Amino acid sequence: MSPTVLEVQGLSKTYAGLTALAEVNLSIRQGEIFALLGPNGAGKTTLIGAVCGLVKKTHGRILLFGKDLDDDPVSPRYDVGLVPQELNFDPFFTVAESLHIQLGYYGRPRDEARVDEVLTALNLQNKKDALTRALSGGMKRRLLIAKALVHRPKLVFLDEPTAGVDVELRRDLWTYVRKLAAEGTTIVLTTHYLEEAEELADRVGVINEGRLLLVEDKASVMRRFGERRLVVTFEQPLAELPEAARRFNATLSEERRTLTYLEREGTPPSGELLRALYSLGLPISDVETRHSRLEDVLIEVLRGRPQREARAPAP
Amino acid sequence: MNTLGMKTLFEKEVRRFMRVPGQTILSPLISTTLYFIIFGYSISSRVSEVEGVPYLPFIVPGLVFLGIANNSFLNSSSSLFITKIQGTVVDLLVAPMGPGELMAGFIGGAMVRGLAVGGLTWGVAALFTGFSLQHAGVAAYFFFISSYVFSVLGMMAALWAEKFEQINFFPTFVMMPLTFLGGVFYSVRELPAPWDQISLFNPMVYMVEGLRYGMLGRSIFPPALGGGILLLLALVATGVTYMALRSGYKMKA
Repeated sequence: MSPTVLEVQGLSKTYAGLTALAEVNLSIRQGEIFALLGPNGAGKTTLIGAVCGLVKKTHGRILLFGKDLDDDPVSPRYDVGLVPQELNFDPFFTVAESLHIQLGYYGRPRDEARVDEVLTALNLQNKKDALTRALSGGMKRRLLIAKALVHRPKLVFLDEPTAGVDVELRRDLWTYVRKLAAEGTTIVLTTHYLEEAEELADRVGVINEGRLLLVEDKASVMRRFGERRLVVTFEQPLAELPEAARRFNATLSEERRTLTYLEREGTPPSGELLRALYSLGLPISDVETRHSRLEDVLIEVLRGRPQREARAPAP
Repeated sequence: MNTLGMKTLFEKEVRRFMRVPGQTILSPLISTTLYFIIFGYSISSRVSEVEGVPYLPFIVPGLVFLGIANNSFLNSSSSLFITKIQGTVVDLLVAPMGPGELMAGFIGGAMVRGLAVGGLTWGVAALFTGFSLQHAGVAAYFFFISSYVFSVLGMMAALWAEKFEQINFFPTFVMMPLTFLGGVFYSVRELPAPWDQISLFNPMVYMVEGLRYGMLGRSIFPPALGGGILLLLALVATGVTYMALRSGYKMKA
């Protein structure tokens, strides 16, 4: 198993009596892409802020690259990069200057080749000498991402990295994030685009009202919470639901022409039902299947399903 | 220690104010020079000497001090405050830099601006009055420690302030009145009672007099008094600012 780069133990944060984080435990492994999901105000940014030194924790421990931030809050941060949620830029400097300054902050010497590499990867090369205030919103977002990556961090936090950017950048960024992860960079991602988490994440965590409700491999969570909806349409209405279909708990629509079956973890596969229907010689005109998306899973988890099937957040 | 990070922040601070020299260097230089020309020439026709020094040379140390103190303060306060407002403070908080590195970067940059404006003010004044430097060591001490103290005070103000109105409070309502009432244009010893006694509680008086001793060789107080006050202020302000940064006062949620 890959080594742990971030370990959060019993982390809590309260703001004037309001609980932003409640006893959060979380481990992040080297090289994984971890998506932290939850509604607005759930505690995602607070959790990232506590690790990155932007938020003072109320209690708990944070171990970054094995070092307790209470003992050494500075040196582990040489290997951390953050794309903050809010756009920010220093209007006095150009895009390239901003990246060189960022390199310097992280104790790295001037590196033209690295700056060019990051600018090219984020399609900012033609804006290299432009003042940051002259950039469009999407370009500013690209610059934030470039700043977070230019010093080759081992752990990168992407807090809503593609908010307000076009589809092209989103796809470019996904490709770049996968490349970084393949090279061993650990990525922690928060996003409102669940398609993004579904596309990229190895593991997902769901947080709500400061509590981490679930941490699990994406494939496992999709299998556990996800479902496949099989809809079979017949050429003519059926007299009644066939006995074979009744065994699967399938349902027939009111007009008796459409049969619906929900395949979940522990239920027979949809293929078995289809085979049974074909063997009865029923006149099938259309078959449609639809898999759950991460969005459906998130809604289920937020509605409380994990409390019934609670699993300890696993490293 | 992240020396490269500290050096980067220092260079960035200097480059930042050098990007707008009309606002950061020329404008304060013109203001101070106008004080010198208007106050100096209008009053020097009536007051020939103060404390045994011709009036025009007498006001030069106070104006130089004004240039150093104001610009050191304004640079660190505005830069750090704008960093907070723009959100770029995130870059500094996430980066591996502790309070020491942050202070060195901001204070270093602010000192360069304060010393540049103070030095240029002195240069312009020397065109009118001639160059006078009686105790180079004392003058250098007051130059550097004044710029240091007001740079740190600027950082403190920026850490505390949450609104633009607050950041302007200290220079407008504290520094400017205390400096103008601090013997820049007159000798506090010549003030009528009780103002001569009240003025003794104004720390700026001793700072201006200390610099006056270094530049003109004349002072109504021992320069060590002003030097000691500045040193004490430097130590207290450094300690307070360091602790505020370490605790994340008004910087971290």
